[in-house]
Amino acid sequence: MVIAFVFLASMTLICSFGVVLSRSIIHSALFMSGAFLGIAGFYVMLNAPALAAFQVLIYVGAVTVVILFGIMFTQRPQALHYRTIISRQLWPGFFVAIGVGTFLAYVVAIQDWSGTEAGNGLRSVAQLGENLLGVNGAPPIFGLLFEVASVLLLVAVIAAIVVSRRRVGDGVDRGVEE
Amino acid sequence: MPPQVQQFVDTLNAALPLEGYLVIGAIMFAIGAWGALIRRNAVVVFMCIELMINAVNLSLVAFADYLPDAGGFGVGYAVLVIAVAAAEVAVGLAIVLAVYRSRKTVNVDEVNLLKG
Repeated sequence: MVIAFVFLASMTLICSFGVVLSRSIIHSALFMSGAFLGIAGFYVMLNAPALAAFQVLIYVGAVTVVILFGIMFTQRPQALHYRTIISRQLWPGFFVAIGVGTFLAYVVAIQDWSGTEAGNGLRSVAQLGENLLGVNGAPPIFGLLFEVASVLLLVAVIAAIVVSRRRVGDGVDRGVEE
Repeated sequence: MPPQVQQFVDTLNAALPLEGYLVIGAIMFAIGAWGALIRRNAVVVFMCIELMINAVNLSLVAFADYLPDAGGFGVGYAVLVIAVAAAEVAVGLAIVLAVYRSRKTVNVDEVNLLKG
């Protein structure tokens, strides 16, 4: 457990630093999928294998591909110096991040977690499905949240199409007959 | 097997305390916040926000596994968080595309139409 934890923690943190500090934006996206893979490994260690599968499918697969599409559509070739990719808030941002990280780590570290023990997670996928639908002892609010999430996804899909749609007549419309 | 080696192997096989996962989540959240504050490219800012969401998800799942009364419900919340984050990425990248089409840039400090 300790070896796996150290490996996954170093992978996650190194990839997170890579996202922030790499000069090429493509490398940032690939580092990001590495960090997501590390998080998926943590989910396996925390008795949530179904969630790890979701993580690999949605984050490492779908979100990374969508972000790579976004990069492909929006990037001009530009000089890759740190002066051009870092905004003027370098040091204020650094101190804010150090402060937030130190505060959060301190708060969770001084807390007395002696009553906690690993292994309370539900390994079975059937149990996770019942939890998500709010049946069989799960809080019934989950049923409502499930419905709200489905409506939210539909709204997000429609909004993405509407926002990024090119209006007829703007720019080059290939295949649109006026 | 000599007892020192046995003790070392036991240490390696022991379950980790909850603080380990929480501290990893906190550090990852801080790295994501740092990147979201200092990077100019809006797509990288999105990636850093995804890192922050994942850090919080890791804390949720750690609590769901470690707290005796949690009943594993944190995993259900984590699934909902993933769904909301996916929706956020879709809408956010659409906005970035729309901004790029009108301003020809995605650097967040050059899109300053609302600046007073």
